[in-house]
Amino acid sequence: MKKNAQFLIENLSGKEIPGSHSLTVRYKSLVNFAKVFGIKDPKYVGSEEEVIACHAFANHYTIKSLYTLLLGMKLVQDGKERDFILNLGKLLHASQKYNWDGCVDIRPGDRLTATGKWGKVWLVEANMILFAQLIVEVKNQNDELVCRPVVSAAIRPGGY
Amino acid sequence: MVKIADLKVGQIIKDEFDQIDRKLLRDYAKWSGDTNPIHTNDVVAEKAGLKGIIAHGLFSYGFVTKLFEDFLEYGKYGKLIETDVEMRGMVRCGDLLVTEAKITKIDGKRVYFDMTQTTFTYVDIKDKDGNIVKQFEAGERGYVTEKDIERGLVKTREVDEGTLTYRERVATPGTAIIELNE
Repeated sequence: MKKNAQFLIENLSGKEIPGSHSLTVRYKSLVNFAKVFGIKDPKYVGSEEEVIACHAFANHYTIKSLYTLLLGMKLVQDGKERDFILNLGKLLHASQKYNWDGCVDIRPGDRLTATGKWGKVWLVEANMILFAQLIVEVKNQNDELVCRPVVSAAIRPGGY
Repeated sequence: MVKIADLKVGQIIKDEFDQIDRKLLRDYAKWSGDTNPIHTNDVVAEKAGLKGIIAHGLFSYGFVTKLFEDFLEYGKYGKLIETDVEMRGMVRCGDLLVTEAKITKIDGKRVYFDMTQTTFTYVDIKDKDGNIVKQFEAGERGYVTEKDIERGLVKTREVDEGTLTYRERVATPGTAIIELNE
């Protein structure tokens, strides 16, 4: 187990995550997402022409992007191909950061593309949980930043 | 109106939400795209050792960003720059979710906050003879553990029907930054 952790620490930290994930923002998703939180302001739940995404909508595109980027990721360890996560049931969401400084609003019809790289990857030996930080950038179709999410994943023993 | 001149270090803004139920979590799963069944299907959650469904970590996070959107009146007085939270405790159906942000620093037009989201998980209400007169989901499904009791998280208070037992726990500590227009 420690060998696998060491392999991931050495092979992930600071590296680009291959590929990208794109999605088109649907008006219906954007508005219904905001309504889950009881948001009533027309800025976030109004007509298609005036509405923009509420901040929590970052959850929508971040999670979809991470599933695509991470679950498709393959590594070669000891000459054999392996998935980044060996057992998805061992994956926990440890922390989440969103930064919108200098970012533009998201509107229906926007085409968002997420790319990412690994930040710090470390093992807590007391409980053998492996932590991995993912630094993501999400841009729209005009190459403008819409959000910078940073996600920390915790992988319990058996998952790496 | 929210202005820098009116804010002080130590000031607190707060929101309480007590409508977390299975339908809301299904709606969140649908519109967020996070369809992991441990958040929507009790049978799957029980098989995963969770005793029942848990809210998505990012579901409760949504109430952090909403707190600031409400405070800034949806962008009228400024914008949300950053939020950063750790997900430490599970949030369950029936929980009262209290989101609180305390100003720690004001620098120019930027205001810095320490955040906490605390869950109040109601277990049961007992009469003066110790008989259960009302049991909540947490009591039925055993969400509150011996470890919670050892850690001093389980408390009681008097309510109209008797003595309410509940767990009070910080689910998500964190920080946030907003920038005001003036």
